[in-house]
Amino acid sequence: MILDILSNIVLVIGLFFVFLAMLGLARLPDVYNRLHATTKIGTLGAFGVMLSILLKVGFSAMGVKALTVALFILVTSPVAAHMISRAAHRHGVGLCKESVIDEYGKACDAACPVPKEDTIQE
Amino acid sequence: MKRYFAYSAILALVWCFVHGTVSINNFIVGLIIAPFVIRPFKTLYPFNLDFSFSNAVKKIPAQIKYLYVLVVEIIKANIMVAKIVLQPKIDIKPGIIAVPIDSKTDIGITAIANTITLTPGTLTIDVSEDRQVLYVHAIDATDPEGVAQSIKDDLEKYTMEAFE
Repeated sequence: MILDILSNIVLVIGLFFVFLAMLGLARLPDVYNRLHATTKIGTLGAFGVMLSILLKVGFSAMGVKALTVALFILVTSPVAAHMISRAAHRHGVGLCKESVIDEYGKACDAACPVPKEDTIQE
Repeated sequence: MKRYFAYSAILALVWCFVHGTVSINNFIVGLIIAPFVIRPFKTLYPFNLDFSFSNAVKKIPAQIKYLYVLVVEIIKANIMVAKIVLQPKIDIKPGIIAVPIDSKTDIGITAIANTITLTPGTLTIDVSEDRQVLYVHAIDATDPEGVAQSIKDDLEKYTMEAFE
C-alpha cells in the first residue's frame, strides 16, 4: 500500500521532469542549450519512471529489467550528448547570439586554420 | 585467458539482469555468449593492464562516496535547468570554456567527463588531443575561471579517488 503510493509519487515526479525536458527542448535557443535540458532532465525523468516500476512490482523480472534500463540510461545519456554536441560543433553549427565565449572554436581554428565565417548565428 | 573469463563473468551477470531473472542457467548462457562479444571489441577491454583485487576492493568506499555526490549533483542540476526552463523570459549567457584536468587514465577521463555532463549547468563537448583539457559548454559562462575551479574542487577530487 505504502509502496503503491510511493510508486505513484515517483512516477508523477518523473513525468513532470520529462515534461520539463520537452519544454526546454522547445524553448532554449540553440543545440547545446537544448542538450542541457534533454540530458540532465531526461535522465532524472527516466530514472523516476523506472524507479516507480521497481517500487510497484518489486524485484521480479520486470523490476530488475527496469533497474537495468535506468542504470544504462545513466551511463549512456552523457555519452550521447557528448557525441551530438561534438558532431554539431565540427559541422559548423554556431552558438546562439547570447553566447559570450567559445574557446573550443578557437582551439579548432588554431589546430586547422581555415578561413571561416563568424560562427555566431544571427 | 583468465582475463577473458573475468570479463565474461561480468558480462554474464549483466545478461542475467537484462533477462530479469538471476539464475544459474542464464549465467551459463551469458558465459557462453560473452567471448563472442569481447573478441571483436578487444581494444576496449584493458587486457594488458595489471589488475589487483585488493586495490579494487580498497576503492569501493571512495566509489560509494562518489555515487552519493553524483546523485546530489544530478538533483541539483535538474532543479537548476527546471528553473531556467520555467522562467517567463529566458535570460542566459552560455559559452564554451576550456577546463584543465588532472586525470590521466582513460577511465578517469571518461568518469570526469560524464560527471560534468550530469552536473548543474555544464556539458562536456570534447577532450583535447593531448588529453589535458576538456571543452565544456556552460549555461552561465560569465566566469570561466570560477567554473573550472568548481569542477576541480567539487567533482574531480571524487572521481580521482574512485577511479584512478
